[in-house]
Amino acid sequence: MNPKVELHIQGQGVVTLELDEQKAPKSVANFLDYVKKGHYDGTIFHRVIDGFMIQGGGFEPGMKQRPTGGGITNEADNGLKNEKYTVAMARTNDPHSASAQFFINVADNDFLNHKSPTPQGWGYAVFGKVVGGQDVVDKLRGVATGRKGFHDDVPLQDVVIDKAVVV
Amino acid sequence: MECISDLHLQAAHPATFQAWRRYMAATQADALFLLGDLFEAWVGDDVIEAGGFEAECAEVLRATAQRLPVFFMAGNRDFLVGERLARATGLALLQDPTVFSFGERRWLLSHGDALCIGDTEYQAFRAQVRGAAWQQGFLAQPLAVRQAVARGLRRESEALKRSDRVYSDVDTAAALQWLRSADAEVLVHGHTHQPAEHALDARHRRIVLTDWDAEAVPPRLEALRIAREGTVQRIGLA
Repeated sequence: MNPKVELHIQGQGVVTLELDEQKAPKSVANFLDYVKKGHYDGTIFHRVIDGFMIQGGGFEPGMKQRPTGGGITNEADNGLKNEKYTVAMARTNDPHSASAQFFINVADNDFLNHKSPTPQGWGYAVFGKVVGGQDVVDKLRGVATGRKGFHDDVPLQDVVIDKAVVV
Repeated sequence: MECISDLHLQAAHPATFQAWRRYMAATQADALFLLGDLFEAWVGDDVIEAGGFEAECAEVLRATAQRLPVFFMAGNRDFLVGERLARATGLALLQDPTVFSFGERRWLLSHGDALCIGDTEYQAFRAQVRGAAWQQGFLAQPLAVRQAVARGLRRESEALKRSDRVYSDVDTAAALQWLRSADAEVLVHGHTHQPAEHALDARHRRIVLTDWDAEAVPPRLEALRIAREGTVQRIGLA
């Protein structure tokens, strides 16, 4: 039975994620850890690009970054693809730097898939998918965005994750 | 012909500069295409008069352009390269995109940033800073002011690199539209730092150049060599 997490989005509804513990054990364990610690509560979807993805779990309103733990092993070679409505770990250029931030694909983003175990080919690790509240994701992808500080594509009105809970 | 892009040359990365200098001195290409972001930043052609790193780079360009034709296309970092540098070095400036007829094929050359149309805010920014009005305004400021702006942008860029951004890619439909309009089969571009070859449809493909970093493990120093018969090879220079 795959674990499920609900993201309660302020004023928008609930997005339910089903996590693939078998194919992405480290990413799922890492994600659940942040959920249970309450890390995601009060964070925002800070980078929203319609037709691409919505990214969150790293910043509070005002673009204040929350501290996180260290990077985890990249599990993008698990066979799961960055298809529409899948959830994957965000990271820096370092393939094994994913910590708390995640993103929900709003298109089939083949170019994010694992190609090779090299810095440029590693890809982004998919660890679950949206099984409830796809309509909420569809609303979120279309919100108006702008520049905040040096960050682009930031929703003009904060999209806040009130709480993330294991169900 | 050979193509390179995304070297992001800067004084703080001497190893990459040295590798580039060696490559420019040694290449036996009939023509060399610099497809954008050769420089990490370029605040105006007058920077070469200040001596220093940019003047060194200009000298490398000048020496190479004496041996073979060198074509320069701006990227999103060095779009303020202009006529003055071209005259001082012998570079030929190219518009983005440019079609190059070579052998039996037409090659569409681009930096690639204009094709990442998913990034709508970047495209709005790009439209603004590629405009004559903005550029005249910026270039009218003293060099020291422009260099301070560039330093600020570099700090932001470094901060963004640490911020786990997921980047979008070149849009397939847009790339196909460009290729059809240009009656070209192959698009060659950089910008995304994701070297690969993508079949766009039965007739069209796009080839992506690597970025350069001599200090990466393994080092990324590579040119794309295109032969007259149409074969494409990645030449490692490490």
